[in-house]
Amino acid sequence: MKEFDCVVIGGGPGGYAAAIRAAQEGLSVALVEKEALGGTCLNWGCIPTKSLLHGADLIRHMRHAADFGVSVKGFEVNLEAMVGQSREAAATLSNGISGLMRKHKITVFKEHAEILGAGQIRLSASGELLADAIVIATGAKARHLPHIECESDHLWTAREAMTPAFLPKRLLIVGAGAIGVEFASFYSALGSKVTLIEAADAVLPAEDHEISAFAKASLIEQGIEVHTQTPLESLSGKKQLQAVFNGQSKRFDACIMSVGVSANVEGLGLENVGLSLEQGFLAVDSEQRTGVPGIYAIGDVAGGPCLAHKATHEAIIVAEVIAGKQPHGLRRDRIPGCTYSAPQVASIGLREQDAGDRAIKVGRFPFYANGKAVASQAGEGLIKTIFDDATGALLGAHMIGEGVTELIQGFAIAINLETTEQELIDTVFPHPTLSEAMHESVLQAFGRPIHL
Amino acid sequence: MPKEIYLVKVGMSMTEGMVSEWYVADGAAVKKGELVYALETEKVNLDVDAEADGIVKHAVEPGVMLAPGDVVGYIYLAGETVPEGALSGQAGSPDANTSSVEIEAPSVAPAPVLASASAVQAVAEPGLPDGRLKSSPAARRLASELNVSLAMVRGSGPGGRIIERDVQAASASSASMPSQPVSRPAQEVLASPLAKRMAAERGLDLALISGSGPNGRIIQADIEAQSNKGSSGASKTAAASGSEFHPGQRIPLKGMRRTIATRMYESLQETAQLSMDMAATMDDAVRLRSQLVKEWEGVAKPTYTDLVIRAVAKALRLHPQMNSQYQDDSIELMRDVHVGLAVAVPEGLLVPVIRDADQRSLQDIAIESARLATAARAGALGLDDYAGGTFTVSALGMFGVNSFTPIINRPQSGILGVNQIYDGLSWDGETPVRTKQMNLSLTWDHRVLDGAPAAEFLATVVELLSEPYRLLV
Repeated sequence: MKEFDCVVIGGGPGGYAAAIRAAQEGLSVALVEKEALGGTCLNWGCIPTKSLLHGADLIRHMRHAADFGVSVKGFEVNLEAMVGQSREAAATLSNGISGLMRKHKITVFKEHAEILGAGQIRLSASGELLADAIVIATGAKARHLPHIECESDHLWTAREAMTPAFLPKRLLIVGAGAIGVEFASFYSALGSKVTLIEAADAVLPAEDHEISAFAKASLIEQGIEVHTQTPLESLSGKKQLQAVFNGQSKRFDACIMSVGVSANVEGLGLENVGLSLEQGFLAVDSEQRTGVPGIYAIGDVAGGPCLAHKATHEAIIVAEVIAGKQPHGLRRDRIPGCTYSAPQVASIGLREQDAGDRAIKVGRFPFYANGKAVASQAGEGLIKTIFDDATGALLGAHMIGEGVTELIQGFAIAINLETTEQELIDTVFPHPTLSEAMHESVLQAFGRPIHL
Repeated sequence: MPKEIYLVKVGMSMTEGMVSEWYVADGAAVKKGELVYALETEKVNLDVDAEADGIVKHAVEPGVMLAPGDVVGYIYLAGETVPEGALSGQAGSPDANTSSVEIEAPSVAPAPVLASASAVQAVAEPGLPDGRLKSSPAARRLASELNVSLAMVRGSGPGGRIIERDVQAASASSASMPSQPVSRPAQEVLASPLAKRMAAERGLDLALISGSGPNGRIIQADIEAQSNKGSSGASKTAAASGSEFHPGQRIPLKGMRRTIATRMYESLQETAQLSMDMAATMDDAVRLRSQLVKEWEGVAKPTYTDLVIRAVAKALRLHPQMNSQYQDDSIELMRDVHVGLAVAVPEGLLVPVIRDADQRSLQDIAIESARLATAARAGALGLDDYAGGTFTVSALGMFGVNSFTPIINRPQSGILGVNQIYDGLSWDGETPVRTKQMNLSLTWDHRVLDGAPAAEFLATVVELLSEPYRLLV
C-alpha cells in the first residue's frame, strides 16, 4: 500500500495547483485524475472555448476588414478545423501539466478514486493509498433542468457545444450566464440564428445591472434573440427539437443547456466518511477543511463562484494549510469574473445594485470617448467604477467592451492593495490604450474626467 | 531682530524631538497665532504656533532629531537678516517676551520658546498633519535599502506623498551631516492606502496596530478590528494585545516600548528605590463604593483605584516629603498634587495625570480618571493630560496581583501599587472574622525620605481607605 503526505483527487486547475504547491513544500503528493490532466477548465471549458471564440473574433474582424481598407473576398468557416484547433490547444496544455507533475515528482494515477475513510483511498486499478491529507478537487459538471426529460444528440451541454458535429441553423441556448453568452457569441458569429433564454431578469445575472443591460442590448444588436425572465417550459424531439417558452412552441436544430453546474461526487465515497453535500456542494471553512479531519475540498466541488482562478487560490491555501504554513486569506468579494463574449465582460467586487444604504460614488466612462477604442472600431463599451464615499476605497469595477478581460487585473490589484481613488488618479496610464478608460472612469467618479 | 523659533519642550521626559512638518514654507509670511510647525516626540505630536508676525526662515529640515530648546527657525521682518544654517542646541537666553510652555515642573528650567503649544492633537502617524504618511512603494523599498526612516523624509509628491526622489535626497543629506543626531529606528509603518486613510479618519495610531496583510502590512480589516477593540473595555484590550504576540517574533524596540524601557531602566539605575506593602481593611470601602456606584449612576462610576487616588491625594498633603523631586543639591517639595494614573494600552503603558487631585472630590476624580483612561486607550490624550505628575498610582489588582514593586516614574519620589481585594481574616477577640483586605505596595526613593516617614504616609493611605467616608469630605 502506497503512502503519501497528500493525495489530491481531481487534476483540474484546483487539483494540479494544490499538488504542485504541496510538493513545493516538500510533501509527498499523489494526484488522481480519471480523465485528462487540466480538468474541465483546460479540456472542456476555459481553454478550448477561448480558441473557438478567437475564431469567432477573426470572423467578425474579417467582416469589418473593409472598414479599414482591407478587402477580404470570400472566406469560409471549417467547423471541424476550428474544433480541431481548440482540441490541439487543450492537448498542448494538458501535456504541459503532465510535465509539471513530473517536474515536481508528483505521482499521477489516471483512474477513479474512492475515499474509504479518513486517510484512506481506493483506486479503481492501483489498489489502496494512505494519505495524511486528502484534497477533494473533483470539480463540477453541467446541470440539467429536472423537468426537461428530452433525450437527444442535439441537446448539448458545454462539452458537446464545443465539439459540434454540425453547425445548427437555429440554436436555442438555455441560460444566459457566462457560458450561455459565450456560446451565443460564438454560434452567432458562425452564422447560427441564436435564441438565448434566461429565467432570471437579466443577461449575465451575476453582473452589475447596468453591464447586464448593456450586454443584452449588444447581443440583440448582433441579431441574437434574447428573452429574459423566460424559463424553458418543455423540450422534446430528437433531430428537431421543439421548445416551449413564453407559452410558444419553437423549433430548433440544437439546444445548449447552460443552467449552472453540480458537484462531481459520484462514487467518491463521501458516505464512507459521513460527508454530504450542502446546497449541492461540499461545505468548507476558510482553510478549505470539510467537517472530516484530514479531508479538504477546493474548487467547484466546494461551491461557487465556479471559476478556475478561485480554485487555484483555494489550492494554494489548502496546500499551505496541509504543510502547516500560514496561508493567505481569500477574499471572496475580490475575485474577478470574466465572460469572453463579444463584447467581453469583466468585473470585480461590489455591484451598484448591492450597495444598499452604503454611500458610494460611481464613475462611468464609455469606450466611444477612448481614442484607442475608436481607432480600432471598439467604441462599444463601458467602464464603471464604484468607490466608498466615506473612505475612497475602490469597492468594485464593472467593464464591458473589447479587451476588458485583460484590463480587469488592474482593478483587481488596486482592490487587493486597498487603494483609494487618489492612488488611481495619480497613476499614469499609457496612451493610447483602452486602459485610459479605466483612469477616466475613476476621474469621472470624482467629477473630473478629461475626455467627457 | 529676527526672533528664534525653538523646538518646544513638552513634558519633563522629553529629551529629543523634531519638526515633523513645516506648516509655513521657508520664506512665507506668518501671523502670530498661526500654526508654524508640527512637533513630534516619542510621546506626543502637537502643532506649534507662531508668536510673532513676520517671515518664516527654516533652520532645520523636517525629521532632524533635536534637543528641546534648539532653534528650528526664525521669524523676521523684511530687511532683517537671519543667520544661515542649522543651529546647535545652545539657543542663548530666552527672550523676555516669549512665553514658555507651562507644563514643566517649576524646578526644571523651561525651554525657551517663541512658539507656544496649542491645538494639541494625537496624530496617527508622523509625517502629515492629518496623520497620514503617504509614500510610494518604490520610496518605501529604497528607504528600507538605504535605512532611511520615512518619518524623517519630507514628501514632495501630491499631498505630501513621499516619492523615491525624496528618499534619495534625505539619504544624501543625512550622509552629509554626520554631526546630526542619528534618526530613530525606522518608524515606517506598512499599511494599505485605505488603511492609512481610515486610521487618519478614526484617529488611530498605525504604529500601535499590528498588520495582518503580507509582510505585516496593515489592511482595512486591521483598522476595523482596532476600532472595535477600542470601543470595548480594558480587559479585552489587554487580552487582544496578548494574542498579537507569537513565538519567534522580533518586536522592534521603538516608540512607546523604547521610551518605557529607557525610563524604567534609568529609574532603577539612578534612584535608591525600595518597596513595602501594607494591608488595608476594605469592608467599608467596598460598601461605600457599591453605594456610590448606584448613587452616581449616569454621572460617575468610581473604581477602587479612584478611592486610592483620593486617599493618596489627601495623604500627600499630610506627607509633603512623598510629593517631591530629588535634585542634585536639594529636594524640592512640590506645591501641587498631580497624581499620575498608569493605564495599560496595547503597546505599553501611559501615565495620564489627574491634576490637583487633592482639590478634587471623589466624584470628580472618578470622572477624570475614566476620561483619561478612555483617551489613553483611544490614543487621544492631550499634552496637558500627561504633564506634571508628582506621584503615581498603578493598579494591577484586576489581574489578581497581591503585591508588587512598582518602579518610580522619575523625577517623582513615590509610586503606589494597588492590588486585588481578597478575603482576609481579622480577629474579633478570639473569633476570626472574614474581612475584605487589600495590600498597597509603595515604592519610594530612599534618597528623599527614609522608611519611617514613608511608612507613615502609607499608613495614612491605609487609614483613609479603612474609614472611607473621610474620602468624601
